[in-house]
Amino acid sequence: MHSKKLGWLLLSPTLLILGLFGVFPFLYVLWVSFHEWNPFAANPAKLFNWAENYRKLVFDSQFLASLGVTFAFAVFAVGSEILLGYFLAQAFLKDFPGKAFFRTIHTLPLIMAPIIVGSVWKLMATPSIGVIPYILKHTVGFDLNIGTSAVAAFTITVIMDIWHWTPLVTLTMIAALVSLPPDPFEQAQIDGAGKRQIFWHITLPMIRPALIATVFIRLMDAIRTVDEVLMLTGGGPGSATRYVGVHIYKEVFPRTNYGYGSAVSIVVLYLTIVICWLLYVGLIAPRVRKV
Amino acid sequence: MKRRNPWISITVWTAISFLTLFPIYWLFVISVKPAVDLFSTPELLLKSFYWDNYTEVLNNPTLRGYMLNSLIISSCNAVLVTILGFLACYALTRFELAGKESIFFWTITNRMAPPAVFLLPLFLLFTQVYRIGDFSLADTKLGMILVYCTFNLPFAIWTLRPTLDAIPRELDEAALVDGATPWKVISHIVFPLARPGIAVTLILTWVFAWNEYLLAATLTNFNARTLTTGLSEYVTTTGTAWGVMATISVFTLIPALIVFSLVQRHIVAGLTFGAVKG
Amino acid sequence: MSNQPETGARRPGFLPIETNWFDRLFIAVVIWVALSLLWLRLIEPLGLSIWIATAISAVVGAVIIWRG
Repeated sequence: MHSKKLGWLLLSPTLLILGLFGVFPFLYVLWVSFHEWNPFAANPAKLFNWAENYRKLVFDSQFLASLGVTFAFAVFAVGSEILLGYFLAQAFLKDFPGKAFFRTIHTLPLIMAPIIVGSVWKLMATPSIGVIPYILKHTVGFDLNIGTSAVAAFTITVIMDIWHWTPLVTLTMIAALVSLPPDPFEQAQIDGAGKRQIFWHITLPMIRPALIATVFIRLMDAIRTVDEVLMLTGGGPGSATRYVGVHIYKEVFPRTNYGYGSAVSIVVLYLTIVICWLLYVGLIAPRVRKV
Repeated sequence: MKRRNPWISITVWTAISFLTLFPIYWLFVISVKPAVDLFSTPELLLKSFYWDNYTEVLNNPTLRGYMLNSLIISSCNAVLVTILGFLACYALTRFELAGKESIFFWTITNRMAPPAVFLLPLFLLFTQVYRIGDFSLADTKLGMILVYCTFNLPFAIWTLRPTLDAIPRELDEAALVDGATPWKVISHIVFPLARPGIAVTLILTWVFAWNEYLLAATLTNFNARTLTTGLSEYVTTTGTAWGVMATISVFTLIPALIVFSLVQRHIVAGLTFGAVKG
Repeated sequence: MSNQPETGARRPGFLPIETNWFDRLFIAVVIWVALSLLWLRLIEPLGLSIWIATAISAVVGAVIIWRG
């Protein structure tokens, strides 16, 4: 029979790589975050300064603002995607010619690199060359300028995210809806239940695990969004679309104050883990089979 | 269910498909337009093709280098993570290892963490800690191949798990009883049976590595820069080379689309870690 | 993080979910960090040292780990 030693041997390269590039960076950044460290300053040594970086961080209005817009972005984008994705999935349940073809087209955005999505939308939304401002101006007379209007820039990033990720929600919802047993629905129809009642009392409870898993995955991805937004708006105008990831990349990383940058990274990771853990424990874990 | 006229569905889905495809189509339109035409009235239909952007990108030695880097890094990474993921998954499904469920779960947390958080520590480690003499991992293809493991390796393990679970253990146990070495069992019995799952893993990890931008932009300067980072170099404060940017985007998009057509069915399971079956 | 209830003692605690000792340690750390950050922002400017927050967290953490 297999020896345990062999098992660990097979596992060791994976654990080694994940340890070196996943766990060790985390421990390292945790350690650095309690130090004053600027390698390019007059004193390039690391100085232990207790929680000074964190003390500075909780009063950093730029960082707190970026947390706020990230939250707004995640709520708007994920909320719209779930609603839209659910309705599109419903529309896909009926049989019609060319269904597979339309489904394939609908899946295309998923495979696109986030940075490409960003550049595509930049090409479409930039004033003076973009097609979106042009159409808006000549049909409804609205002047869309993502370079100056904070609301416009925020909205475009949300729409971009919806375009990119709604297909994922649609496909997961199709998978969930297709696997529902028909009996409760037939019974409800016999009992004379209305469409709305059927949705609230039968469909929703039954697709709930898949729905929550999808929200969970989309929410995490929305918090991690960097590439698309970086390309499309660069975080501007001002700090309107400077989501946490963009904030770290544009504001924290280029500065050489590594101790403070580490503290920011740790807090963002902390918040992500807490949000995911709350969702996981509170909503998913009791309902799905243990992995 | 009521029967409805299929033309309603077809019309609705044609409209949705138009919205889905338009940005991709527009990318192509911009890439075959001369720069002077960009600022005139947008035309929805192409009347002429202007291929200079394509020749410019293909004749640019820097961009060709980036393309080659992207190809080397994503291919090596995909092969590496598939092999390691396969071995790790084999170990986790066939051996009674202490805390193996925790290991499973812990690998996935590696992928869930926001990459932006790891920019600073990886940058510091690459430039200051992981170095032997003058050789550091910063700006090397090897460094990028290893870094991409952090998100692709958990993915490989999670997508391979159902495949390996589906292969009956009796098969490898019987072979072991017959005197085969564990290595022979893995290479001659389990591997051939797991081939479809391995192919999907290989392709999807390749796409993820090919598409990655943030880590490549931070950890490389020149020698190991990838095509996705080349893209952002054409967006400068003085002005953006729109046509070239669109062309590079097309070049980055095409390989992903080609491989996508191969594994279309598995894409949802892939993107959701199998939490929802696609 | 939280999916191995089989390794801990399954004694009903006051927490609303089933936990093992590692889950409870994790919860304690989460509370410690949250309290410390809020303390730094809201209470420390009033003159109360961060060590008080740490002490409170240690007590709360101990209760959660032993009693959760």
